[in-house]
Amino acid sequence: MSSKKRHSIFRKSLTRTLIFAALILFAASTFEAYNQSQLSLVLIYFIGVLSVTLLTGTSGQLSLGQGALMAVGGYSSALAMIHLQYSIWLAVPVAMIVAALAGLLLGLAAARLSGPYLAGTTLVIALAIPTIASRFFSIFKGDEGLFMDSGEPPVWFTDFIGEVSFEEWELYIVLPFALLALFFASNILLSRTGRVWKSIRDNQNAAALSGINFSREKIFVFVIASAFAGVAGALYGMRGIVAPSVYPVSLSLALLTAAVLGGIRSIAGAFIGTVIVVFLPDWINLLLGNFEMSTQISDFLPALLSGLLLIATVVINPAGVMGGAHHHKKK
Amino acid sequence: MSTFLSALFSGVSSGAIYSLVALGLVIVWRGAGIVNFAQMGQAMFSTYIASTLIVNGYSYWVGFIVAILAGAVVGALMDLLVMRPLSNKKRTELLSSESMRAAVPVIASLGILGVLQALAGIIWAAEERGFPSPVARDGLTLGGTVMPFTLYDFFVIGVVLVTLTVTTLFFKKTGMGLAMRATALNQEVAKLSGIRTNHARTLSWAISGAASSLAGLLIAPSSTLSPNSLDLVLIIGFTAAVVGGLNSPVGAVIGGLIVGLVMSFVNFYMTPEDVILSILVLLLIVLIVKPRGIFSGKDSRRV
Repeated sequence: MSSKKRHSIFRKSLTRTLIFAALILFAASTFEAYNQSQLSLVLIYFIGVLSVTLLTGTSGQLSLGQGALMAVGGYSSALAMIHLQYSIWLAVPVAMIVAALAGLLLGLAAARLSGPYLAGTTLVIALAIPTIASRFFSIFKGDEGLFMDSGEPPVWFTDFIGEVSFEEWELYIVLPFALLALFFASNILLSRTGRVWKSIRDNQNAAALSGINFSREKIFVFVIASAFAGVAGALYGMRGIVAPSVYPVSLSLALLTAAVLGGIRSIAGAFIGTVIVVFLPDWINLLLGNFEMSTQISDFLPALLSGLLLIATVVINPAGVMGGAHHHKKK
Repeated sequence: MSTFLSALFSGVSSGAIYSLVALGLVIVWRGAGIVNFAQMGQAMFSTYIASTLIVNGYSYWVGFIVAILAGAVVGALMDLLVMRPLSNKKRTELLSSESMRAAVPVIASLGILGVLQALAGIIWAAEERGFPSPVARDGLTLGGTVMPFTLYDFFVIGVVLVTLTVTTLFFKKTGMGLAMRATALNQEVAKLSGIRTNHARTLSWAISGAASSLAGLLIAPSSTLSPNSLDLVLIIGFTAAVVGGLNSPVGAVIGGLIVGLVMSFVNFYMTPEDVILSILVLLLIVLIVKPRGIFSGKDSRRV
């Protein structure tokens, strides 16, 4: 790849990231506290959904266990903060590295598996990993969980920005990581690496014939995607505690749902899907708020609707909301 | 010694149920090339139907039969409404890649699982409820000593044996069974020899739905019933199916027993917390040592 081309990819990703940052900051300034907190949640999920976009959408490996890798990230950052007194800014990179190592192990096993075998095995992992928290109670504190504190904003920060609310501070912690994730994901997808991963997805034999070591590439995707999941997991734990109930199997499935709804091959799709999944309960409340409904119904309506949306998406337009746009851009 | 016998009996009895779950997965995998992750959602739904009937004064057996029929109907509907339209879909750019063609039905089945669990929550509330058993679940007394097995264990093993015999006879002796085996072997050739492969596929979804509903009914008395209560059973059944070979009905049965025994012995001799981890370890060992399972043929692994 020429350095000129590399430059243009870099610029394109940087532009996307800056536009995204401006949009988020603008949205946050118009939101009240509750929606600011929801926006942080969107950004955290977005990082996790990007890991699905890279792993499943780009390289074609279907993992139902990204929530378990988020748990790995959550626990390692919580332990680093509790025992090593790391700040959140150091704990998140620790989570990223530990999750990437876990992804390496998983990738070594996964490179031999395909299709439903991989999906099933990662589902088993998603259920089995959280039980380790009860098994080694002295370290992970079982169902009680570990407490994570995002800390107070430093003085130079409040001098610069002014006093910030708890929700705003949370958003300011999450945003830089989301921007980095977006920048890296965009760079990867535009570069040669992204094309190599797509070739594994589309035709493994053809990829092998063009000299691609697809086992090694599959493991590499797992490592990168796990690093994303680890960061998301650490930030997700920061919102409260790190415990098995914070990272249930349904978390893994929510990530997959978001990725598929938006468009599993596109970064913009990952964001749109995340917004849908996070805000769906609020939108349902807004629409049906005037009707008298028992909590029994209202508790399950979001899950029902997102399940139906997921089925409708794969049956009608498997490429998702952003599928069409992506298609045109590809020329 | 008595611990050993307890572990053995409880392992065989729960293993028999896992055999049914694995069999349900294998039937759909052979018939449609899909691992159905919604399967235990269907079973949960049927078991709730049975529970509602029994609570409203119908006998256990009415609930039992209706639940199995409901399982078959839901299975067939899944194929007709979701899976068949999906497989008939013209290849879009996304579906033209081999790995996504395998992934999309799995994603659809997860969507169905979500819908079934949400519906169960809406209709029956999410609180856990008990489920009756038709026979006593206390240890049998023989000559004054309490034995490590219950009448219910025998009931479970009996029902599973009858089901396996009936399914085997159906596949070996009836024309429809033969058509289904032909479809599993090679869909194109089966179609050319005049078999309605679409019917055969729908029927495999229905049979699988019935078998897994039966598994749900049998397992419910020894746990509680809630929209998510059978999630764990699905991954146990998946492990059993992989241990035996996803393509082999005999393997599913043996795999179910192996997984049941492993879990039971871990539960009795180690700690209950290790049970789920032991499933993961077993699955990984099989995938590393014999990825096609113990009983599968040469051409087994598709995708």
